[in-house]
Amino acid sequence: MLRIDCPNCGARNAAEFRYAGEYNPRPTQADDDEWIRYLYLRRNRMGVQVEWWYHRSGCGTWFLVERDRRSNEISRIMRWQPGVAETGSLSA
Amino acid sequence: MSLKLLRQGLGRRPSRMWHDRPLKDHYRVVIIGGGAHGLACAYYLARDHGITDVAVLDKSYIGSGGSGRNTAILRANYLTPEGVHFYDASIKLYEELSRDLDFNVMFSQRGHLTLAHNDGSVRTMRRRAEVNRIEGVDSRLVFPDELARICPQLDLSPAPRFPILAALYHPPGGIIRHDAVVWGYARGADRRGVDIHQYTEVTGIDTANGAVTGVRTQRGIVSADIVLSATAGWSSNVTAMVGLELPLDTIPLQACVTEPLKPFLDVVIVSGSLHVYVSQSDRGELVMGASVDPFASYSMAGSLDFMESLAGHVLELFPFLSKARILRQWAGLCEMPPDYSPLMGVTPVDGFLLDAGWGTYGFKASPICGKAMAELIATRRTPDLIYPFRLSRFAEFDQVGEKGAASVGH
Amino acid sequence: MSGRRIEPQPGETIDRGCTVRFRFDGRQLEGYAGDTIASALTAAGVQVLSRSFKYHRPRGLLCGAGHCPNCLVQVGDEPNVRACRRPIEEGMEVAPQNVWPSLQYDAMALTELVSRFLPVGFYYKTFIRPAAMWPLYEHVLRNAAGLGAIDETTTVGGDFDKEYLHADVAVIGGGPAGLSAAVAAVEQGARVLLLDENKTLGGHLRFSGDGDDGRTRVGAWRESLGKGGATVLTQTAVIGHYQNHWLSAVRGNRLYKIRAAGVVVATGAFEIPMVFDGNDRPGVLLGTAVQRLIRLHGVAPGRRAVVVTASDAGWDVATDLVQAGVEVAAIADERPGQHADQRIDTTETQVLHGHTIGAAHGRSAVRAAVLVPVDGDGPWHTVDCDLIAVSTGWNPSLELAYLAGARSRYDEDLGEMRLQAVPDGLFLAGRVAGPGGLEDDVRQGDDAGHAAAEWARGGSKETGTTAAGQRTPAAPTGGRSSALVAAPPTGHDKRFVCYCEDVTDVDINTALLEGYDRIELLKRYSTLGMGPCQGRMCGLQGIRHCARDTDTSVADTGRTTARPPVTPVSLGALAGQRMEPVYLSALHDWHVQQGASMMIAGPWLRPEHYGDPVAEVGAVRQTVGLIDVSPLGKLQLTGPGVATMLERLYVNQWQDLRRGRVRYGMMCNDEGIVLDDGVCARLSEEEWYVSTTSTGAAGALEWMEWWRQSGWGEGVHITDMTETFAAFNLAGPRSREVLQQLTERDLSKAKFPYMRARRAEVAGVPCLLLRIGFTGELSYEIHCPAGFGRYLWETLVEAGGSFGLRPFGVEAQRVLRLEKAHLIVGQDTDALSDPIAADAAWAVRLDKGDFLGKRALTRVSSEGPRQRLVGFRTGRRVDALREGLQIVDAERRIIGWISSCRHSPTLDETLGLCWLPADMAAREQSTFTVFVAGRLEAAQVHHGPFYDPEGARLRS
Repeated sequence: MLRIDCPNCGARNAAEFRYAGEYNPRPTQADDDEWIRYLYLRRNRMGVQVEWWYHRSGCGTWFLVERDRRSNEISRIMRWQPGVAETGSLSA
Repeated sequence: MSLKLLRQGLGRRPSRMWHDRPLKDHYRVVIIGGGAHGLACAYYLARDHGITDVAVLDKSYIGSGGSGRNTAILRANYLTPEGVHFYDASIKLYEELSRDLDFNVMFSQRGHLTLAHNDGSVRTMRRRAEVNRIEGVDSRLVFPDELARICPQLDLSPAPRFPILAALYHPPGGIIRHDAVVWGYARGADRRGVDIHQYTEVTGIDTANGAVTGVRTQRGIVSADIVLSATAGWSSNVTAMVGLELPLDTIPLQACVTEPLKPFLDVVIVSGSLHVYVSQSDRGELVMGASVDPFASYSMAGSLDFMESLAGHVLELFPFLSKARILRQWAGLCEMPPDYSPLMGVTPVDGFLLDAGWGTYGFKASPICGKAMAELIATRRTPDLIYPFRLSRFAEFDQVGEKGAASVGH
Repeated sequence: MSGRRIEPQPGETIDRGCTVRFRFDGRQLEGYAGDTIASALTAAGVQVLSRSFKYHRPRGLLCGAGHCPNCLVQVGDEPNVRACRRPIEEGMEVAPQNVWPSLQYDAMALTELVSRFLPVGFYYKTFIRPAAMWPLYEHVLRNAAGLGAIDETTTVGGDFDKEYLHADVAVIGGGPAGLSAAVAAVEQGARVLLLDENKTLGGHLRFSGDGDDGRTRVGAWRESLGKGGATVLTQTAVIGHYQNHWLSAVRGNRLYKIRAAGVVVATGAFEIPMVFDGNDRPGVLLGTAVQRLIRLHGVAPGRRAVVVTASDAGWDVATDLVQAGVEVAAIADERPGQHADQRIDTTETQVLHGHTIGAAHGRSAVRAAVLVPVDGDGPWHTVDCDLIAVSTGWNPSLELAYLAGARSRYDEDLGEMRLQAVPDGLFLAGRVAGPGGLEDDVRQGDDAGHAAAEWARGGSKETGTTAAGQRTPAAPTGGRSSALVAAPPTGHDKRFVCYCEDVTDVDINTALLEGYDRIELLKRYSTLGMGPCQGRMCGLQGIRHCARDTDTSVADTGRTTARPPVTPVSLGALAGQRMEPVYLSALHDWHVQQGASMMIAGPWLRPEHYGDPVAEVGAVRQTVGLIDVSPLGKLQLTGPGVATMLERLYVNQWQDLRRGRVRYGMMCNDEGIVLDDGVCARLSEEEWYVSTTSTGAAGALEWMEWWRQSGWGEGVHITDMTETFAAFNLAGPRSREVLQQLTERDLSKAKFPYMRARRAEVAGVPCLLLRIGFTGELSYEIHCPAGFGRYLWETLVEAGGSFGLRPFGVEAQRVLRLEKAHLIVGQDTDALSDPIAADAAWAVRLDKGDFLGKRALTRVSSEGPRQRLVGFRTGRRVDALREGLQIVDAERRIIGWISSCRHSPTLDETLGLCWLPADMAAREQSTFTVFVAGRLEAAQVHHGPFYDPEGARLRS
């Protein structure tokens, strides 16, 4: 089973977590095309993506995981902060 | 006994199902994906429309994707009229497929039961049964007294955590030999002049002025008037080659089989609440599956969690199976659209067509999807049957709501 | 016992002092404690154990290692038991499988006579016309399928359970390599877990090589492990390796789930059969199977043997046979030249170099072996015998390594798969990594153990790594594999590549000619490797055949994907104790004692009714009722930012909600789809109490936390009180009087009006009271700490006794709410319903700032919904109207459906909620038709509540 490092609790089995899709920030300003894109379209690529996870059977923290969808290997774990996925700054 | 077997038994060399031919530098139609969908489309293009300048390309062997990984359950008892029409047309093609292809695909219409364990499911089952009945599909709600006759092996007592309250019974539903469908279509297409290129991976798609012009493969560049992506599971990666994002999330779906057991289970059993489906193949194996994995991935390694929860849920239904042994587990990839309905037809790129978004329900649709896509290619007009499933429905806020019925839609 | 039992062997695992009686195929037999079913049967002279899958050929013990299908038997109600692994037990009932009417005379064996007309994949080519005949054909095919039988009357499957284990280093395989790896890791201070599928440690040392020396060394390792505190689990089969070194293993009825930092795979190798005519005849055994029988069980599997080999391994087998008193009539050694072996007396034994086996003669038992020159040039030698020991090929047990992500490539020189790359944290040692001698195994195990311990400490994998390439393939003393794809055919009999599925070399050739010429296609079409052994016996042979006939190298032919489990595992072991979670309210026992009919509601069990739901409705409408609503989601939100966050999460307005007030709230996503509803009470400026639906409680909390933690939750804290608080609703015109008896808080309309929240002590219990309800009557929702739940409930029931209080269940509540035309999220709405369509437009405030769903709802509001949820009534009792029925137009096209429907006892008519085209829904009293089992029933559109439309009663 995949192991995920909760930024709050440390390494836990993936069964404790809920996956919640690609990181897809809600646009503040968007034309119709951008808004449709936000609502429905996903990258869904074979490769590294940033996504949301929730520590459901644990502390209840929502955080970002950078994971290779081919191997499930996790390269980064981030707490959310404005622009975190873009800048990639790691939380302490 | 058939003449073919007699001849083969008397020493005649068997004929080849399909041939390895050179890759031409131009085809009128290039179909990416040699699964049941892509091969069916090629077959109907040749058979119904006389279009044989067609290449089917697959990065691996034919049927290596979802076509060879699904649990081969066929049914038409969908929730929306659009879904019912479409899948009923598919079942009707499947019923004639062995004769049509002269290849026994072993469609076994032994009935399909979707169990309801709470009042909400009973309501949904009745809704489906009513829609089916009005649309001419044989499907009805049955209660434990009748269930005991249809499938006496089920635990119908109040003992389980989720007792069985009722079921949606769909007599025309059943199972089929999935690989045979792939091979039958491949042979039918090959004999009519279609080129099947295995181990030919598309690495790029060329466009000019908003229209597709061809594909690049590791074996060379192929120009084409029409390119169809029939690569469910991997569609987002193919459409990315023309800069198109899709409303899809690719999630593994796992399944497993037991060692062969003497036949005891005739019908196909599906339980949405328990996230499980079970059927017994003609080889005696129990073929079992669950709902899609908890997270998106292109890894098909499978998990222990799946086996553990599946086993527990199967034993809720059939407590006597605790000594049956799982022989093998595997996974396939399901690309899930928001409304659990497929994406078929034209795209913003001229000549680039889509056959995608097949979630957990793609194999069932192979014949009708292939036939409809062939018609679209030949006539350049979207058939009415697949219009509701157009890609543009999201931007038009006109989704097809199968989601309510499809939590475990097998 | 029978004459097949030989004198005691130094390492034998049987207890000759303890006789065990069991039955096979109706015969009473005896064995010793420690015997397997197969060894006891062999000792008793029984050779045929089962019949094969397709041709029903008699089959007997072949591999002796739990891989092949030939000794699968039925033990009581347990099918497909490997007789070579299962110990016998007193009174055990063993039966052969796939036989009819009997093991000796099987009717289905006739299929072999017509087998030339039943080639590989025959079923794809026949039974096509006429279509009507297919079900009949299928019936016949189906009845011929399967192996063991399931007893459908068994309900108790044994006591299964699970255990979690953790280790720095898990070592899989207790042979010399695994033992030395475990010892090395222990010496490095690692927490070590050693797992071995056999009863005793030692691997092949138990039955081959110098027994005394082997036992001494195993004893020493074992002692070191004991001193080092390692955990050793024998009779434990590791069946899976999943992501991040998550292992599954089975021991009896227990499933182990193991998380290890580093894993040493020391699983050795297993012998594979040779393809020759009649290679499945009972009496043809693999060399190691012979050695196991002799050395572990003291059984000689024959009286006169022929040994076939391609290496010194066969000579070891021959030596063991001679020592067991078996006459070795001949040895065929594939290698040319003179491989003399002092241990074999060549005056007694005919030695044929450059020879292999062409055919086994015999039907239910081997009568003779035909030995032929490897190059096909020269005379054949027919040697009478009752045992053929075949020791021609090995395959490393790489399955677990493959599952962990290791890659291999076929090595032409070795004649077997060879490791190419292993993933991080995985170490291989011993025969699994390539052929070598005992000292190689030990040294390599030592290296692997060190490296794994280093890795577990966080060190580099490179230090002392044990990669495949470093193993010296020089001078393998054990088994070098045969270079032959198959023996030269003699034309006598079928030549099986796959025993599980009865696939012959002719079948493979045919399939390849037909175009199934990639290994994966070949497997799927011929079913090669899809049976109980999962390709262990046939995989490599299949690849070699495919490569030869398609002019491809074996390496380029590839292999089929390895899939878990490594050995078949029972559903019982995987399921464990079958603990399905169930949520029970604090009052559950009370409900059950009162005879409530319980129903499933999401994870909860709730009272559906207490015997008479109509009377329960009547009590609420006329006097007073009490319902347990503890499953409601209950959240406490505190902080200065709560109102701002709620504004964004809900479609309603919140900033203006004053202290002590309650408001209905609905949440949508950005598609405008209804997610959940409930009420929000503002208890003080910065303290809110929020309820959600019962089944949506967990989802609603996750949803709120998501937005809270991603930028919208400045100054907000959420505490989940769902399981902390019990909640009831006291409803009905007399509810105020009942409650007032128990509290000093003034409950008068003036002091505590509708849609207000108050803290109060009720019967001494601190409570939160909300003047809200789903029923349309004067009502109080009472929230209290769950520990006081039952006390308070019973106190309320008692206080209400004189007013005619009745507890009511979910069914009565549904009727009551329907009389008020309140929707239920998830029943009346689905994954495409927005609040405007769902007749809740009144709750949506498009004039406030940005909120989830605003953009979608603004569009729906301007365009108007296509379908709408609306009430309907019939003016009479129509029992045929049910939830889920479809509404049709004059052409019987579906235009809508009924989402809620009940007979209202209060109004004595059938009414409900339905989805209709918006224009139809807009016309009050317009008539539509419902399709009911082929008939049509009429109903009329109704706007607003059916009962007390002005809401006077709930405000009273």
